[in-house]
Amino acid sequence: MCLGIPGRIVEIRDDGGFPMGVVDFGGVKREVCLAYLAGEVEVGDYAIVHVGFAISKVDEEEARRTFEVLKEMSQLDELEWMREVAEKSLNPQPPEAS
Amino acid sequence: MKYLSEYRDGRIARGLADSIKQVATRRWVLMEVCGGQTHTIVKQGIDELLAGAVEMIHGPGCPVCVTPLEQIDRGLAIASRPEVIFTSFGDMLRVPGSEMDLFQVRSRGGDVRVVYSPLDALELARRNPDKEVVFFAVGFETTAPANAMAVWRARELGIENFSVLVSHVTVPPAMVALLESPDNRVQGFLAAGHVCTVMGWTEYEPLARKYEVPIVVTGFEPVDILEGILMAVKQLEEGRHEVENQYVRSVKRDGNRPAQEVVSKVFDVVDRQWRGLGNIPSSGLGLREEFAAYDAEQKFGVHTITAEESEECHAGEVLRGILKPNQCPAFGTKCIPENPLGAPMVSSEGACAAYYNYGRFRTPSESGA
Ligand code: SF4
Repeated sequence: MCLGIPGRIVEIRDDGGFPMGVVDFGGVKREVCLAYLAGEVEVGDYAIVHVGFAISKVDEEEARRTFEVLKEMSQLDELEWMREVAEKSLNPQPPEAS
Repeated sequence: MKYLSEYRDGRIARGLADSIKQVATRRWVLMEVCGGQTHTIVKQGIDELLAGAVEMIHGPGCPVCVTPLEQIDRGLAIASRPEVIFTSFGDMLRVPGSEMDLFQVRSRGGDVRVVYSPLDALELARRNPDKEVVFFAVGFETTAPANAMAVWRARELGIENFSVLVSHVTVPPAMVALLESPDNRVQGFLAAGHVCTVMGWTEYEPLARKYEVPIVVTGFEPVDILEGILMAVKQLEEGRHEVENQYVRSVKRDGNRPAQEVVSKVFDVVDRQWRGLGNIPSSGLGLREEFAAYDAEQKFGVHTITAEESEECHAGEVLRGILKPNQCPAFGTKCIPENPLGAPMVSSEGACAAYYNYGRFRTPSESGA
């Protein structure tokens, strides 16, 4: 669970002094905290994101490669959580879910 | 190698494997301390490919796996309370406690939810002011900045119905504990790439010097791992013991400073119990005194709960490299991923689950590797 997923930053904003943004992970978009890369990234940059936090900036080539490898390794758990769980988590989850 | 040939950088990987075999004049014992690396090594058969030149021991690199039973039981006790919405990363739900797991709490009516980020749990607290939202904060240094920030934000936003059950562990003290144990066999380490993305590698430098072990910061792709192994083997052959960085694409020497700062504002270094390894001094993170209001253990009075680990589970020996997972008597019989006896069988990053999922049912000697 220590693996981060690379994605492209498509939006940066300031949430009352808290740097947030939207990152596109191969088509899946998700809110991400940018506090740990504040001032270091711009829209269009790529970053490794771990549990909702961008932790390091990477180049596009590296981002693409890592994403592909994660897919081949079926290690995109985090992305699955994002896709299936993120919207659901704010609503009660029935026993048979997940 | 059947798996490696499927990988698209197969040629580079085979070249690296050949170099490792050429450089090694004897068999060296290395340990990887990242569950993602364990997964890659077992899935791609890297250990089998290098048999004779390098033996890989799978270290305690899976945070879910090393979370002690008593902490799981505390989580279960909190999750069973009617006023609580209990949140965690998905991996934790099937980790067996003494009597049940989080899934069972949910089927008995407990409100247990999987979240992607600790900030989602905080948002849940904001939207449900009449509920107590608790987040199970497990993980290594990679995850600590996220969990620390959730607590920091909770205080900033004045959200009082949010708390965290902390079971954070840090890698270097576990490496020291392994190196100092009398039955240690590890001669060099692959350090975890994403842990070092946050922490950098300065804290590994005194370790490499004192214990005379090479430590190579390594990524988790097959080619990364093979390159990391080659770098470590070269050091061993040349009698060097330094920290080297294979994963330059993501890791800088000093790591991510802003992340380290928030972690040290919210957390203190504490002693921690590791599943299978026992108590390791200064090996974990706990909430600082000033954040006590966000400590779920205190809020729900569960710190008194203790638990004895099952004697049937040999997780400790597996994590120390004394037993391979398939040498545990329960492996694949009493203990399978659908019905795990111990934590390393639960998460896909655990060594026992990796061996099971990739069909490693025989011991290395029997398979002729
Ligand atoms: S196979 Fe199961 S019982 Fe044996 S060490 Fe692994 S988790 Fe424990």
